[in-house]
Amino acid sequence: MGCSSSLPASNAGGLSNINNGSSDTDSKNFRVKLVLLGDSGVGKSCIVLRFVRGQFDPTSKVTVGASFLSQTLALEDSTTVKFEIWDTAGQERYAALAPLYYRGAGAAIVVYDITSPESFNKAQYWVKELQKHGSPDMTMALVGNKADLHENRTVSSQEAQEYAERNSMFFIETSAKTADNINQLFEEIAKRLPKPASS
Amino acid sequence: MEGGGDSFGSSTAPLAWHDFLERMRQPSAAEFVKSIKRINIFSCLGPDYGSDLSIALSGTDTKSSFIVTFSNRAPDPEKDSTAVQEFLENMEGAFRAHTPWAGSSEEELESAGEGLEKYVMTKLFNRVFASVPEDVKSDEELFEKMSLLQQFIRPENLDIKPEYQNETSWLLAQKELQKINMYKAPRDKLSCILNCCKVINNLLLNASIVSNDNPPGADEFLPVLIYVTIKANPPQLHSNLLYIQRYRRQTRLVSEAQYFFTNILSAESFIWNIDGESLSMNELDFQRKMDSARERLLGLSTDSENQDNQANLDVQDRKSENLKANRNSDASLSMKDHVQGSGQDMRRDSDVIVDGKPVERVQSISDIEKKGAAELLSDDELNKKFQEYPFLFARAGDLTIADVESLLNSYKQLVLRYVALAQGMGVSPETTLAQSRQPPSDIIGSEEHENVNSVVNDNENSQGISKTSDDVISENDHPEALDIETSEKMTEKTAVDPNDGLEVSKDEAPRQPENA
Repeated sequence: MGCSSSLPASNAGGLSNINNGSSDTDSKNFRVKLVLLGDSGVGKSCIVLRFVRGQFDPTSKVTVGASFLSQTLALEDSTTVKFEIWDTAGQERYAALAPLYYRGAGAAIVVYDITSPESFNKAQYWVKELQKHGSPDMTMALVGNKADLHENRTVSSQEAQEYAERNSMFFIETSAKTADNINQLFEEIAKRLPKPASS
Repeated sequence: MEGGGDSFGSSTAPLAWHDFLERMRQPSAAEFVKSIKRINIFSCLGPDYGSDLSIALSGTDTKSSFIVTFSNRAPDPEKDSTAVQEFLENMEGAFRAHTPWAGSSEEELESAGEGLEKYVMTKLFNRVFASVPEDVKSDEELFEKMSLLQQFIRPENLDIKPEYQNETSWLLAQKELQKINMYKAPRDKLSCILNCCKVINNLLLNASIVSNDNPPGADEFLPVLIYVTIKANPPQLHSNLLYIQRYRRQTRLVSEAQYFFTNILSAESFIWNIDGESLSMNELDFQRKMDSARERLLGLSTDSENQDNQANLDVQDRKSENLKANRNSDASLSMKDHVQGSGQDMRRDSDVIVDGKPVERVQSISDIEKKGAAELLSDDELNKKFQEYPFLFARAGDLTIADVESLLNSYKQLVLRYVALAQGMGVSPETTLAQSRQPPSDIIGSEEHENVNSVVNDNENSQGISKTSDDVISENDHPEALDIETSEKMTEKTAVDPNDGLEVSKDEAPRQPENA
């Protein structure tokens, strides 16, 4: 279900995606490894696809699959951020492998499903894990996905918001299906990234 | 820093190998050739050739301090890796500033860097691959664990959803992974992994379209990769992964290539730690399955027990002292240290994997091959040795209908010799055949056949790749193992000759008229 619906991605905030994979990395253009964590089935890869789709560059050399995608965002201050997005397997049996993926990541998105309290518990587990073992200056976002299914909501946004604040994370609810807040999510992360002098 | 595109592209873009060699042949590249050749000739890198290199490049002779023979030093993966990484980095910097590369585009420089990495690592391969006992031991243990697991693991044990289960098509991915031991260059080995991942992703994507499911992400991908890895069970997987990690130029192991490489590292890690719980099995049940898999394995490989296995090999050792040519062969008491290249054929049919004995016997043949290859390298009459095989350097396009007959004759001759040789060395191929449900000449032949084919550069494998994973490998820049071997030998010969520089043999070994 869901994330393959053909609505165009909303593009709010005056920022635009660009398809520039060839810019040199310098102080104005940098790239960041972003890791996606969350229970299986919460729509991690859908969020990324929604972000990348619409701005999808058919000449892009990224051809292998949806578990790794990259997308460049242009910010208002005329810097660009190239996200290299690493998806992780969310099933319990693969939890111990996550450190291999978030090692060296500059940003993390922890996703849960607003209709699934278990997935919210799992998200909190990942937040703790990242706080313990992730890089200390990692930019973290807590994302409640499937916001379009609000009739079935079991995780209140207030609870999640409070949790995120306590853990100094950015919180947003998204719908990969309708594209709600997807770009905002990545734009906000881009803004919060510590900008390196050069890389 | 990223140059013109994705790093996956750089791992897979056509490697202008011949262009690299071509440029190295120009007189203006003489200093490079000299500094690289020192590595070749002594097959080693000194601890601080970084500074020595610049001296070499500025024209000062630095023979004595530049190279410390590797073989006199105990292998130290950490140091060796740092040394190679630094060397490649320095040389890439030097390329940038010197003819014949000065003023080249980023792409050309990138491809020169790729060429250099491949060249250097092909030379150093025997010295650094699985060079410490821990790695050899890990290879054995991992291989054994996978050969047990593959007998009973089911896709459900790894959370692979029914709509994504497709064991038949996964064979394609396994095949890609099993090619990993056919290559020496880190990039080529990495390409095997990336191709395997690409096949899996394509299959998942197709399945998701058919079942109208979400596009597959890591939740779907990783379990299949683990399953495929266990089923493929490429020998020396652990060493292969370490080798790529250590010797693939770090600036090129980034982005998408790094992601998929991380996935196979994580597959390895998962497999190491597999127990009942990680497969959603009762622990007792898991142990029972492992035990019976082990029994099945041993039962098929020897008449009685493990010791038999060893005794068997001892006999072979006495029959031929050559068997110990490979420094790893201490490790060959079990069926781990698998033949590079020929293992691929064996493994295509998963039934064969269960069997220990043929693998072990093939191992011996491989050792003999390695010894022979080493002797060839020191043979002054190298070119004459290959005159008997007129098609060795032919390309598919060069062949005419009239060639078919002589090609077939050569092939038959080769098969007969091979079988006779195997028989004579006491590594009777019959056992292999009995297990493989194929007529004898077929399986033995197929190995030779493939090698010959690959040299002729028209092998079915490459076509298979291009079908399943189109542009990832182009046939020419990803030569089959024998091809690498051969050009390496020839290069080594010719590298001594200042006029020929580093040129590979393609021009020096013209097709001989048929004389067989």
